[in-house]
Amino acid sequence: MKLTKKLSDLFAKRSARRGWNAFIIFFFALFVLLPTIYVLSYIVTDWGVISTDVLSDTNSVDLSWSEYTEADFLEYEVHKSTVSNFNLTETTLAFEIDNNKTTHTVLMGLSPSTIYYFKIGVNTSSRIIHSNEVNTTGYYETPPPSFEIILYEPIVTKTESLIYHCLWISFEIAAIVTIIDFIAGLPMAWMLVRKEFRGKRFFDTFLDMPLAVPTAALGFSTALFWAVTPGILSPPGSLNLLSSPMLLIIVLHIVFSYPYMVRSLAAILQEIDINYEIAGETCGASRLTAARTITLPLFRAGLVTGIILCFARSLSETGGTMVALATLGSMEKTGPVLIGTWKHVAKYNPNLVPALAFTSIVLILLALVLLVMVKIIVTKVKLPLKKVWPRPEKFLSKGLPPKLGNLFTFIFLLFIVLIPSFFIFSYVATAEPATEIGWGGFWSSLYYSFLVATIITVIDLALGIPMAILIVRGKSKKLGHVLDTLINVPLIVPTAALGFSLGLFWSTQFSFLSSPLLLIIFAHVAFTYPLVVRNVAGALEETDVVYEETARTLGAKPIQVFRKVMLPMIRPSILAGAIMAFTRSLGETGATLAVSPEAITAPVYIVRLIKDHQAYYQAGLACIILIAVSYCAMLLLRYITKKAR
Amino acid sequence: MVNMRLSNITKKYGKIFAADGFNLDVEDGEYVTILGPTGAGKTTILKIIAGLIDQDSGEVYIGERCVDDLPPENREIALLTQGYSLFPHMNVWENTIFAPTVHGWNEKKIEVIGKEMLNMVRLMDRVDAYPRELSGGMKQRNALARALASNAKVLLLDEPLRALDARLRIDLRYELRRLVKDLGITTIHVTHDQEEALTISDKIVVMRKGKVEQVGNPYEIFERPTNIFVAHFVGEANFVEVVITKKSSDKMEMIDRSGRTIISKPQDFDVGKKVIVGIKTEHTAIEKGEKPGTNTFLGKIQRIMFLGKYVSIEVKLEEGKKLHVKIPTSIGTAFKENMLVTVIFAPDRLFIFDYPEKGLEKELEVE
Ligand SMILES: Nc1ncnc2c1ncn2[C@@H]1O[C@H](COP(=O)(O)OP(=O)(O)O)[C@@H](O)[C@H]1O
Ligand SMILES: [Mg+2]
Repeated sequence: MKLTKKLSDLFAKRSARRGWNAFIIFFFALFVLLPTIYVLSYIVTDWGVISTDVLSDTNSVDLSWSEYTEADFLEYEVHKSTVSNFNLTETTLAFEIDNNKTTHTVLMGLSPSTIYYFKIGVNTSSRIIHSNEVNTTGYYETPPPSFEIILYEPIVTKTESLIYHCLWISFEIAAIVTIIDFIAGLPMAWMLVRKEFRGKRFFDTFLDMPLAVPTAALGFSTALFWAVTPGILSPPGSLNLLSSPMLLIIVLHIVFSYPYMVRSLAAILQEIDINYEIAGETCGASRLTAARTITLPLFRAGLVTGIILCFARSLSETGGTMVALATLGSMEKTGPVLIGTWKHVAKYNPNLVPALAFTSIVLILLALVLLVMVKIIVTKVKLPLKKVWPRPEKFLSKGLPPKLGNLFTFIFLLFIVLIPSFFIFSYVATAEPATEIGWGGFWSSLYYSFLVATIITVIDLALGIPMAILIVRGKSKKLGHVLDTLINVPLIVPTAALGFSLGLFWSTQFSFLSSPLLLIIFAHVAFTYPLVVRNVAGALEETDVVYEETARTLGAKPIQVFRKVMLPMIRPSILAGAIMAFTRSLGETGATLAVSPEAITAPVYIVRLIKDHQAYYQAGLACIILIAVSYCAMLLLRYITKKAR
Repeated sequence: MVNMRLSNITKKYGKIFAADGFNLDVEDGEYVTILGPTGAGKTTILKIIAGLIDQDSGEVYIGERCVDDLPPENREIALLTQGYSLFPHMNVWENTIFAPTVHGWNEKKIEVIGKEMLNMVRLMDRVDAYPRELSGGMKQRNALARALASNAKVLLLDEPLRALDARLRIDLRYELRRLVKDLGITTIHVTHDQEEALTISDKIVVMRKGKVEQVGNPYEIFERPTNIFVAHFVGEANFVEVVITKKSSDKMEMIDRSGRTIISKPQDFDVGKKVIVGIKTEHTAIEKGEKPGTNTFLGKIQRIMFLGKYVSIEVKLEEGKKLHVKIPTSIGTAFKENMLVTVIFAPDRLFIFDYPEKGLEKELEVE
């Protein structure tokens, strides 16, 4: 009581409020914005390294070998030489790996005109073991069983082309996914807003369910449903249809981006509905004008939101994609997956940092350019929308087409979104329980995930609500506008690139702060903070400032105005923001992997189970637990906020 | 309880002056109305007084103290906004005791004040109702109770009756005045409704484009407007452009564009000057047929509007100009559309104003 009084007295002072606002902006700049794009500074400071190591005509090689499982393990040694049948010496040693689970690495900067030879050595407390030798000629002979460590066939690629290839795949997939989402999302949004039918409420709820499932679990579940899965017993009902990694990723990304598109479009359709009614009531004849002046701009706004959300989500997704690809047994990679994989390796081989930086830079820049382009195209280019819009309306409202449309929508939701999301239950129910790796690791990763998600939700709320207030209610309209735009940046930057950039920022600028837990928290704050700010700012824009002004004149100090007047009015949006931030953090893989390979959150643990250990059954169980637990957390959050009302 | 003074307040939004050197003196316990068309800057003035907007220049004094450095919550001013803005998540009781609660008064005192205020506005039986369940009049009374419970020394009312039905608006305006007068609170009431201003004010400030046009009691504002705008906006008036041709100790002679002679009491204008002659429609007479003489205008009745007790007759003169006449309905029934009539200006009721720089039309613009 005393503290609240002191606080409210403090905040009654203009200077104190100015200081607080400055702090909020400072926090956003230093903890969110700057780390997110810090890697861009690499262009200026280290362009030389990028151009010699990445953009020159050099190759990279992927090595993987069999795991050494004895307890006397000290470290793996990766050796490289330009002569065949070489001996392991100090001079051939490239780097060491002190984790016996890490049986994959990448070497870069190899000249294409030279033949390189590689061997892996294992240091144990008593002896040194070495593997067979492989080389970059493309010739590989299965080694005789006398080797305790087997080095598998190396994969040699031109570094630059590999990066472009992966980035291209990412953008291609994101574009296709967004288009499909739009085509299938419009009739769905239409049904939700304009149609009354039995079970509409269930429909409404089902639609959001994939959002609460961490993408790593979604990836596994979707792959089991759709894909040809070598090495996994297919559960009954599995389609065993897809063997193309591209198609599988597209199908997967639709699952979690579709609800965003439908929600964005539905929100707008709802407003259009209201506006039509008002127009009809008040000025009868000018309905057409109203449609032209109100409907189209609104619709465009919703479309931009939907497109950006879907595109950014697809471009950024890492965990689910990794899991799906591993389940399929594919070596294909998207941009974020490439970053995740390399970052893991870069811990032992720092030569990868320039390539990582370059990939992140391109990803960030392209995402930003795309954001701007989509905005311009959709808001400035008027022609197509004006024509397209009335057509589906007419088309969908008469005779057979609407029935077919509804059927199509229903089938799409069921088979493309819902069944793949929860197919994992069928797998776990029917699969043979396999030998397990032990659950200790999973529980601690789950605890870790919850710890992070809880902390970042608290930080987001504590510092995101004031930011929203500053944006919407701040004295300076210009500042609000600038902040409003900048807030979106972390939202569209792919999280793997964000994670890498952020890790680079903190470890180079403030290395004393770069413990894995802190880094993970910073990274998760960076990409969830905008979710809270956006939600709250939206709600504030809709509440009239006059209530706050009235409260002030009645003698309420700014903090009292916030607590007694503003807070009760925007509570639902705060809840929505909190749930989004919490679930996004809980499900995030890309940023976690890219910021620190040592931090094992629950989704990362699931990715490892599948990728590194092929422990599919256990991964399935872990997914189900994660899904159940995040649902409970959501219900709990809802309950708490309802009660507080 | 306290007097109040605004000194030279200016506030600009882009190129628009919402307040332009605005001065105002309010005496202790006085009921002052700021009357002006929409967009005149009335709300802006109230918000500046309340501390919700910072003026670009000028000072606000409450009592003898300049309050410009005080935040709104410390000014002891209660503002009743245009839509009442009752907090939607609070019921009548919670709304009413909002100010006492945030002030941290003890619970007994809060209870007493809340009950006193709600009894005063006759809402004691609706304490549990939420704003959405209240009628317009109840909302207005609840908002008033909430404002008065704050112990404010000055009450600012921004178009407090605007959202109500016509009938209720008339009843409530007297009640409003009585309530605050009984409590002795200094009040500024903002309205665009001239009838409302005329019936309840101790003092009226006519405002346009951020400026004070005239200050005075209702009688002065209506009967002795000091400029064309006030004459036009308060009540209704006819205006004619004339040139002064003769002046003597007991009368002044003028001639309009069509050569009609108009005579008035002598006023402080020179012969040969172009001026505007104005007269309230209430003081304009009408007779059937053509009547020769000065101050007469021959024309045809264009339209007759029934206003209840009065009729308003629109007469079109030969040159196309229109004049309006307001007469009691009992006399008005004798007139029909298209009738040839003579409109007569009573010489002792004429106002004479300088010819406005930007022309008569511009001066009559309300917004
Ligand atoms: N926040 C604002 N930004 C820009 N212009 C404003 C703002 N508030 C008021 N105005 C302008 O100032 C003028 C006076 O507004 P206001 O005080 O609301 O008038 P009134 O209450 O008399 O209708 C109007 O022209 C209005 O458009
Ligand atoms: Mg106003």
